[in-house]
Amino acid sequence: MFATFRLSMAWLHTWFGLVLGYLLMVIFFFGSLSVFDREIDRWAIPQTRFAPQPMPSFDTLLAPIFARMVPEAHELEEARARVGGPLPAELPPLNWGAYTTHRDPVLAMYAEYAVTNNPTDPDDHVHGHITIDPRTGQVLPDDQLKIGSDFFYPLHYSLHLGWKDLGYWVVGFAALVMLAALVSGVVIHRRLFREFFTFRPRKHLQRSTLDLHNLTGVVALPFHFFFALTGLTVFASIYLPVSETMLKPQAQAAAMAEAQGMGLDFKPSGVKAPLASVDAMVREAKRRWAARGMPGEVGYLYVNHVGDRNSYVTLYRAGSDRVTLVGQPIHFDGPSGRVVHEAPPPSLIASVNDFLTGLHLQHFEHWLLRWFYVLGGLTGCACIATGFIFFVEKRKRQHARAGSLGARWADAMAVTAVTGMLLATLSMLVANRLLPADLAQRADWEKGVFWGAWLLAWGHAVARSGPVRQARLSPAWREQCWAAAGFALGAVGLNWATTGDHLLKTLGARYWPVAGMDLVLLVVAGLAATAALTLRRRERAAQPQAAPVLPAEAAHG
Amino acid sequence: MAPGPVVSRIAASVLGGWAFVWGCVTLGIALLLRAGLTYADARTLTYLLAFLVYLAAFCWAFAARSAWRVWGVLLGGGAAMTALAAWLVRAAP
Repeated sequence: MFATFRLSMAWLHTWFGLVLGYLLMVIFFFGSLSVFDREIDRWAIPQTRFAPQPMPSFDTLLAPIFARMVPEAHELEEARARVGGPLPAELPPLNWGAYTTHRDPVLAMYAEYAVTNNPTDPDDHVHGHITIDPRTGQVLPDDQLKIGSDFFYPLHYSLHLGWKDLGYWVVGFAALVMLAALVSGVVIHRRLFREFFTFRPRKHLQRSTLDLHNLTGVVALPFHFFFALTGLTVFASIYLPVSETMLKPQAQAAAMAEAQGMGLDFKPSGVKAPLASVDAMVREAKRRWAARGMPGEVGYLYVNHVGDRNSYVTLYRAGSDRVTLVGQPIHFDGPSGRVVHEAPPPSLIASVNDFLTGLHLQHFEHWLLRWFYVLGGLTGCACIATGFIFFVEKRKRQHARAGSLGARWADAMAVTAVTGMLLATLSMLVANRLLPADLAQRADWEKGVFWGAWLLAWGHAVARSGPVRQARLSPAWREQCWAAAGFALGAVGLNWATTGDHLLKTLGARYWPVAGMDLVLLVVAGLAATAALTLRRRERAAQPQAAPVLPAEAAHG
Repeated sequence: MAPGPVVSRIAASVLGGWAFVWGCVTLGIALLLRAGLTYADARTLTYLLAFLVYLAAFCWAFAARSAWRVWGVLLGGGAAMTALAAWLVRAAP
């Protein structure tokens, strides 16, 4: 199909990069925000602006709350449809879980309940989840959206497309294309070392954009390659479900053997039995971790077969102090409280995988490294955005002469994916501070504002893209930059007005989750305004004559 | 460029590539199980390598001269490896 290897790679880079670039932009941007998802949550839910807390006492605080928890109403509705009739008055709990990290002031609690009257599926179950203030045990209202950890973070890996895991597949394909774009990008540009030091911002837009595209692509190449690859391996069992299909017998035999080796009961006995003191188990777990030279707190607490003689409790260590994502779990027998099994150190292959997973998911406590992650992710965004602009700049004069609409559409989509996405994000923060606290379905309103603002930004980008047909800059870029600057400033002002937490106060108290968010918003406002002013100067200075095409660009697809 | 060959290449790179990786993963696990690895280790190791294979197959699908060869190698190779893997795990004691 292509005369040379380089041409085939240039085609792959240009077209897959353009089409999947819009998605990659979303994945990189919300991945970057997810690095500080807990901090965004604090900004969005003012009642939770207090210091991170350790796992509270199970015996005195969590146990009564778990006992009072109920399944989600919408899951019960779906279960009724599956069963085809009413459900039993009370669904027995199967298991309980509680999860916290070194950045969480609040505690997330989960429960699974058996749907006992489904004739076709004996394992049918529904879920419940709540968030509590671990200092008091007070349940926080569940209509408050954790914008960081429950909206931006899932957007990063699943695009909120739940149907048949479609979002995971789309994101996975985008990650594969990212890897291919990196490989093909290196093939196209053989002077990698020189391009690392080349940036000519004063040259015409097409040249300086390509410089910046190459620079951002090369400078963070290992980072981008690593994250795209580990993003795929983290969800490998979705993309290549061998254990559920072809190798199911082998997988099940291995799981059974493992459970037998651990001495854990796979199924409940049906005989009721009370649970021993979990606090004593926590003390024993901490003692054992300390004895292995890794003292730490409980990150995840899990009770399986709740209330049964075969119940067991598993305690996972919070992984704040190391990159590798392994919980050193210790399993306790529920009724007696004795240790059943302590997980041995992982095998070499498992430790490599745990390390790579941990490096991607970064549960560790290292703020400087956390900021490098954000920087790396945003460098990826800059690389993709400059790719769009280069694509348009390279073609728009030719398309203008030919009367083709290609460049105009590519540009409008680029505006939507870059400044439109920023506007959607900022609108959501503004809406979060403006919507009344007692509004019904408040979370849905916030999500609606996010998608609605994005849709409006798309409409605006399309409507204002006319000048691209005359090979000029679309004013949509500048206008959306101004809007972003205004929204970012507005979000900071509204946070002050609605909570009283202005920057002097949060900085004075060194409350970094909120102070950091406000500072970042101010920086965004400053950058967006600078970009808008620069664009205005460019638009005014724009002369209709075409810039000469340099030979180096000719090979670029 | 005519749309037909382009669509064929894209389909071969995505679907053929996936089939090829599926074959590599199942055959890899089957062989590693034979070599005495645990199932978890065998699966983890092949998963870690799977997407590098996918990446290579994906890029090669566009670089190769003949589209027929791309389809043959990716789909045929994937099917052959999957069949061999199925035979290996069934024949295992």
